[in-house]
Amino acid sequence: MIVAKRKPLPEIAANLQSTRKLLIVGCNTCVAICLAGGEKEVAVMGSALHLALRNTNPAIVITQRSIERQCEEEFNAPLAEEIAAHDVVLSMACGVGVQTLAEQFPSAIVYPALNTAFMGRPEERGIWSERCAGCGNCVLDKFGGVCPIARCSKNLLNGPCGGSEQGKCEVDPKNIDCAWQLIYDRLSRIGQLDRLLEVEPPKDWSTSRHGGPRKIVREDMVL
Amino acid sequence: MKSGGKLERILESGVFAVTAELGPPKGPNLEVVQTKMGLLTGVCDAINITDNQTAIVRLSSVAACALLAQKGLEPVMQMTCRDRNRLAIQADLFGAVALGVRNLLCLTGDHQCFGNHPTAKNVYDMDSIQLIQMVKRMRDERLTQGGDPVDGPMPLFIGGAANPFGDPFEFRVIRLAKKVAAGVDFIQTQCIFDLPRFKEFMVRVVDRGLHEKVHILAGVMPLKSAGAARYINNNVAGIKVPDEIVKRMEGAGRGKKAQAEGLKLCAEIIQEVRQMPGVHGVHIMAVEWEEAIAQITEQAGLLPRPTI
Amino acid sequence: MTEGNKIVLLGCAHSAGEVVADLAARGLALPAHVEWVSVPCGSTIDELLMLRAFESGAGQVMVLACYNGACRSVDGSLWAEKRARAARDLLEEAGIAGWRLQFCNIAPNMAADLPQWIEEFREPVVAEESK
Repeated sequence: MIVAKRKPLPEIAANLQSTRKLLIVGCNTCVAICLAGGEKEVAVMGSALHLALRNTNPAIVITQRSIERQCEEEFNAPLAEEIAAHDVVLSMACGVGVQTLAEQFPSAIVYPALNTAFMGRPEERGIWSERCAGCGNCVLDKFGGVCPIARCSKNLLNGPCGGSEQGKCEVDPKNIDCAWQLIYDRLSRIGQLDRLLEVEPPKDWSTSRHGGPRKIVREDMVL
Repeated sequence: MKSGGKLERILESGVFAVTAELGPPKGPNLEVVQTKMGLLTGVCDAINITDNQTAIVRLSSVAACALLAQKGLEPVMQMTCRDRNRLAIQADLFGAVALGVRNLLCLTGDHQCFGNHPTAKNVYDMDSIQLIQMVKRMRDERLTQGGDPVDGPMPLFIGGAANPFGDPFEFRVIRLAKKVAAGVDFIQTQCIFDLPRFKEFMVRVVDRGLHEKVHILAGVMPLKSAGAARYINNNVAGIKVPDEIVKRMEGAGRGKKAQAEGLKLCAEIIQEVRQMPGVHGVHIMAVEWEEAIAQITEQAGLLPRPTI
Repeated sequence: MTEGNKIVLLGCAHSAGEVVADLAARGLALPAHVEWVSVPCGSTIDELLMLRAFESGAGQVMVLACYNGACRSVDGSLWAEKRARAARDLLEEAGIAGWRLQFCNIAPNMAADLPQWIEEFREPVVAEESK
């Protein structure tokens, strides 16, 4: 899933100092699961903004809405009239949702309320961590299901580096496991440690974001 | 001969080699480089110039190495994968070889979060093992990473790093074997304070016959004080200074007395590792203390250096 | 809107509720500027309740929940404490002093303590007013 976190309130409020009518739109998919932009968070944001703007913009009118998934136009379509009737839309979706709203309603002013961070998984309640960097050429078969691109701080393909200590990454030993310790342990466990004897050649980064923004077209699906 | 350079000749002749590190200045201050060059002349066989070590921006290794080569000293250029992609690396290598550099230490590089530009984007287009493999191909097959012919010979003696003190320990020797398979000619290890662990590492290296395929230089670092030892333990991942050594430094007092003890300890470690099979030399890293190299090599009985 | 005189007590019915009832039974009603809001359990307290209290004119909010280990929902009071902390951070970001939101554990038999706590809680406001 996509994982995001609420922006600091002053940063959001800074753009709303002269806004008369604000529409906050939440998303009930990824950002609801990571407790950043779902219906509950929309309500809290509305209240918090009233408090934050109490001295500089006390007359602001705030409308709150929440929809299924902001990255798909069909879910956003029913909001068309309301969007037109408000000065600013504050999207509490991930960066994809924010942009979908902006593309779908190009005359609207759409601001993001979240900092979208990564593709990851929940580890336990309240904790999410990165798992996939979208490199476009998945090599999880070579590394026992542990991704060195997303989980190694240096995206090494022939790790570990000298900074692996007690299974932790020197960049942030409290929070980051050494991906190569994980790979070593996993491959040992499934009897595939010999995969690590081969030198993995330099990655073809052209399939990743480094090659340019990507698009997938399924001709067989396009009518 | 792969490079025809002095370091290669010394190691191939079986002489116990001495290399030392020169830390370049945080600006275009050639005087600093020249002063340090003076301190290291005659007390080692080759001089490593670090490459934005710990992600702190310094005068580039390729520039400083070109200067050393000009002055007739034997530079070992260090190159990390953190700051340059494969294009920049190859371009810098063409330039380095053209300007007389014959030795290259291939490193992954510390993450930029440790340095003075933590908000920078890193590169890590390749890792150190891929870099070794690429340089070998440039030298032996005269081909770039992309497959084009290289216009001119690339006589480079290829080096890599090894850390016998990182985790997982069992895998460290395997990784060294991987570097050897990739084409590395010499290895400089991380600083040794934990002699038993290093000994264990070398036993495994010799077991696999790797000492016959690669020249290993044991890394050592003189401690200036007990505080320096504690700093390393708390702040530098991959090096551990054992308690006995910290205590020994504490017992030595402060200032000049502590430094003298640190030098003595360093010389002792050199003498110990020299006895271990498979160790073909020593690499002395006296960070911002290049003056110490002359004293250490003297105390360890490594002077005068041979002229080969 | 806010930073007024009103103090809102937001409390779990099982502990704080009992205390408030106890005080009433003894003829010790809460002071006029104190508003009592009951919730069925600490686990039902969230940031929104606290922020809305400030929006509706409260100058201070005191959140009261059972002691850890005494909560019938096991983690409810711990949850309430975390929510109070989150709300306090949001208030600070909104420019409202965090000390205006306080979290206290309370037991049903602590009627003697609550009036004192409220007075102490109000002290900084009184001090500001008299400047």
